Amino acid sequence: MTAAGSTRKLIRGARGFKATITEVEGSMNTQASETTLDEAARASVTIGRPIEELRALWLQPITQSRIWTHFADVTALDDRTAEWIAQGPAGGEYRWCTKVDDSLPNELRWTTLEDADVANAGTLTFQPAPGDRGTELHLDVRFDPPGGPIGQAVSKLFHIVPREIVLKALYKFRALALTGEIPSTGPQPAARHGGADR
Amino acid sequence: MRALCWNGVNDLRVETVADPEILNPKDVILKVRLSTTCGSDLHLIDGLIPTMRAGDVLGHEFMGEIVDVGRDVTKVKRGDRVVVPSFISCGQCWYCQHDLYSLCDTTHPKPELQEPLLGYPTAGIYAYSHAFGGYAGAHAEYVRVPFADTDCFVVPEGVTDEAALFISDAAPTGFMGADFCNIQKGDVIAVWGCGGVGLMAQQCAMILGAERVIAIDRYPERLAQAEAFGAITLDYTKVDVVEALKELTGGRGPDACIDAVGMEAGGTGLQQAYDRVKQALYMETDRGAALRQAMLAVRKGGTLSILGVYGVMDKFPLGVLMNKGVTVRTAQQHGQAYVPRLLEHTRRGELTPAALATHRFSLEDSPRGYHMFKHKDDGCLRAVFSPE
Repeated sequence: MTAAGSTRKLIRGARGFKATITEVEGSMNTQASETTLDEAARASVTIGRPIEELRALWLQPITQSRIWTHFADVTALDDRTAEWIAQGPAGGEYRWCTKVDDSLPNELRWTTLEDADVANAGTLTFQPAPGDRGTELHLDVRFDPPGGPIGQAVSKLFHIVPREIVLKALYKFRALALTGEIPSTGPQPAARHGGADR
Repeated sequence: MRALCWNGVNDLRVETVADPEILNPKDVILKVRLSTTCGSDLHLIDGLIPTMRAGDVLGHEFMGEIVDVGRDVTKVKRGDRVVVPSFISCGQCWYCQHDLYSLCDTTHPKPELQEPLLGYPTAGIYAYSHAFGGYAGAHAEYVRVPFADTDCFVVPEGVTDEAALFISDAAPTGFMGADFCNIQKGDVIAVWGCGGVGLMAQQCAMILGAERVIAIDRYPERLAQAEAFGAITLDYTKVDVVEALKELTGGRGPDACIDAVGMEAGGTGLQQAYDRVKQALYMETDRGAALRQAMLAVRKGGTLSILGVYGVMDKFPLGVLMNKGVTVRTAQQHGQAYVPRLLEHTRRGELTPAALATHRFSLEDSPRGYHMFKHKDDGCLRAVFSPE
């Protein structure tokens, strides 16, 4: 890891990219461990609805196609598998399919099937929030970019950092769960041409 | 449609842009009847707030007529004359249900831009940079209003367009600032700033039972308006404000101080020179003369209510607050919690927000309106724009 890389890691760590510290601690390979910080992200939100309702909403295929739009086009292939197509910054396109394991009541897991351009795995856990605050959702996504842990960083691959990918998906999911809609200014943001709307 | 666009620092132009459309089922489209300038727009126009983009349509204080409704809108309808608070709030999340509407958890389309700055994203707001959502503003012929059932308030007969206009922001912000003071019998409230928000805070403090309201500014016409509202006035360029406040309160100090000035405070002396230099070098965004003075002036155990808009300020004497046991309350306006009450106070003549409208312009002439407002030419308190 170069000095510049270390600095970047520290900055990201300071801004919340410390989600994988526990996983890193278990690793034998320092280089891979540090890179892992670029490849995984965790975010949490609390939503004032019961677990069962949120779990059911998450599992609806249309939900997946709506909450990941900042990152990928998600198309349901059947109830539990979906195709993801993510755009890279220079016109590159990355495809993979995921399968969801919903065998646990308070946890959903998904992993990519074979031949994924960017292998990844996600875990969403549901926990009751204290008082009348509803349910806590904890989302953890890890990417395994091509070339292994020392290959291209996810943020370069997709032009979006992993933390932003999961945070924005959870934010949209909360909006959808509470209001039935996802906030948007596209295609009419304040600025002209729409192109300024990230 | 025609709209007032920001094109860069101090570069405003009226341009033809695409009409807004219904994007979500709870949206409406409003035909703007009136919109107005806000002091916080000046921070955007001057380039003190990052994440503005060329072509941004300005304007977050407005009222108008509903001309199109989304399929899930049930409480308001086409033809309604409504006023809309400047923060976009869903009415469903924990924050909205606790009357903390400007902290709404669901209306920010770009939360990733704001989370690193504030820790958590706030509600989206019209025309207040992309870090606050990137929603198009209302200095335009039409504006899209999301969550219309929560955010559109029908204006009753007997309340004019001009009065209703200021119930979108200046009046609820001022009322909230007075509400934060938890005013008790005999309380004296000092308000820094006699712009739209400050004047509304003064009138609202009286409505909420303040014994005496003291208004602080430097512009004679603004102080005259405060006096017309019933406040005692202080010109901070002519008196030592902290001493004058002690004199006016028998040495106790005001029970609560409201800062309705914010980051571009005027001031006097060395501290002002220090702030101006640091702001010019972008080492801080804020000149905090009014806030520092309010911190010093407030009585022991009193309340400091901050309505002024701030970014980053140093030389912040936290020890003054700590050692005096001051309660600090602050927020962007939770307008939806106050608008019905304010419309009723206005209908009864107890609140007179239309007094803020000192200058009127067509939308086409709005850049001139902002110029007058910014430089306070001809005693301009608020410039009001009409698209027609």
